[in-house]
Amino acid sequence: MSATAAIPAREARRWRLSPVALRWLCLAALLALWEVAPRAGWVPQVILSPPSAALASGFAEWDFFASALAFTFGEILVSLCFAYGLGGLLGLVIGLSPFGRRAALPLVSSLYALPLVVIYPVMTAWFGIGPASKVWFASLYGIFPVILATAAGVQLVDRNLITMARAQGAGFWPMMAEVIIPAALPAVISGLRVGGALVTVGVVVAEMLASTDGIGFLITQNRTMFRTPQVYFGILLVLVLAGTLDTLISRLERRASRWRPQQDNAHE
Amino acid sequence: MRAARDRRVLLAQASAVLGFFLLWEGASRLGLADPRLLPPPTLVLPKVAELLADAGFRRHLWVTVRELLLAGVIAAPLGVGIGLALAESPYLGRAFKPFFHFVAAVPKSVFLPVFILLFGIGFGQKVAFGVFQALFVLVIATAAAVAAVPDELLRLARANGATRWQIWTEIHWNAMLPLILEGLRLGMIFNIAGVIFAEMYVSRAGLGQRFSTWGESFRMPELFAGVLIAAALSIIVNETLRALERRAGAWRTP
Repeated sequence: MSATAAIPAREARRWRLSPVALRWLCLAALLALWEVAPRAGWVPQVILSPPSAALASGFAEWDFFASALAFTFGEILVSLCFAYGLGGLLGLVIGLSPFGRRAALPLVSSLYALPLVVIYPVMTAWFGIGPASKVWFASLYGIFPVILATAAGVQLVDRNLITMARAQGAGFWPMMAEVIIPAALPAVISGLRVGGALVTVGVVVAEMLASTDGIGFLITQNRTMFRTPQVYFGILLVLVLAGTLDTLISRLERRASRWRPQQDNAHE
Repeated sequence: MRAARDRRVLLAQASAVLGFFLLWEGASRLGLADPRLLPPPTLVLPKVAELLADAGFRRHLWVTVRELLLAGVIAAPLGVGIGLALAESPYLGRAFKPFFHFVAAVPKSVFLPVFILLFGIGFGQKVAFGVFQALFVLVIATAAAVAAVPDELLRLARANGATRWQIWTEIHWNAMLPLILEGLRLGMIFNIAGVIFAEMYVSRAGLGQRFSTWGESFRMPELFAGVLIAAALSIIVNETLRALERRAGAWRTP
């Protein structure tokens, strides 16, 4: 693939921009259009607010946004604990038994495919519109990839490692702590990454639907008041939040798979 | 041996589902949970039939189904087309594939207010949002599908003098179809979740609009029945596409 790709690319370079330059040029053009179109009146400013205006009005109300962001972040952290803890535990239990894998994994992946957002009105009816309903909803939203990845990770543990540990007389807990969990960790962490993203979306979506605080609530509130720049600023903050969280988890991922020999990663 | 094991698995799955409903019924009947908040399935399941018989509810359901179908019909050729273009032109691929990978990873639900500002709160906005949710995974799946076409088959076909058309219909199509269908399935899952979320957020019609209204007015039997209907809808779509995927991939050696 790469060999065939190199030839046309080299021909292209004679008369075309490099692909990377084209990408950045397009993004810059898009950004410029986003700034110019509302300012020139091609699009009403209430529909599309120029990015500079969004940033300016957002930072003018930074106190509001910061406290909402902190609130949302707290909900995300609590939900992460539930989704990771329970998801990891369930995944471990399912993954350790071959029958559990064959019977339970298809059910879990079917549940994962459901539009879970329909559950949220049930959550607000049960737990009110405070943080509790967000935590329940987001934990549920993020738990499925954690279960699936943990079960897959446990399943992929090298049988030789287990046999060797058993031969040396390792009991159940040492086997868990010293062999199975560390060996499964790299696969598990890719699930933590997907789960973390879903938890973030879950909290924000729940806040957008019914809430009294948080960044999703601010987005919805500003939208109903047609304060368009603040809406865009809120969306931007959510993206930054999700990006930061993802970077943190993927850094963890790199650290967790460092002990592995390189050739082991190649076939994954 | 294998059939017996499959039967055992199926039995375990059926009893898990049955056990879930029994637990639900028991919790509600025995007062472990407030039956006003958790109506028992014996109350919810007749409600499903009642809703499906109700012309008003069917109108809402039909609105959602139309939004989903239209979004799917727009997203499928668009996503496959963009994916093919990115995969077949190395130049475009190198320029824009990272962009699509990036957008696919971004949480797209937060953009819903932008769609309301742009398209209002009607039918078109739901369709546009559904397309937006479904498109990117489909682009990536298609691009990956092109990369998965076995090189040696292509070389063999060319060496035997196959025409460009034959290579496309005989090799590319067969090799790519299962992966594209998987992308379509994921896209439809995102599409369903996105459209229902958009309806729940702000809407005048559709399943999601019913859910929000029922939730706010504590009409729990209707709400639970609606959740079951939405789940059934997405299971039907998911399983249909999964079956097609399996059939399209049956030629592969397992």
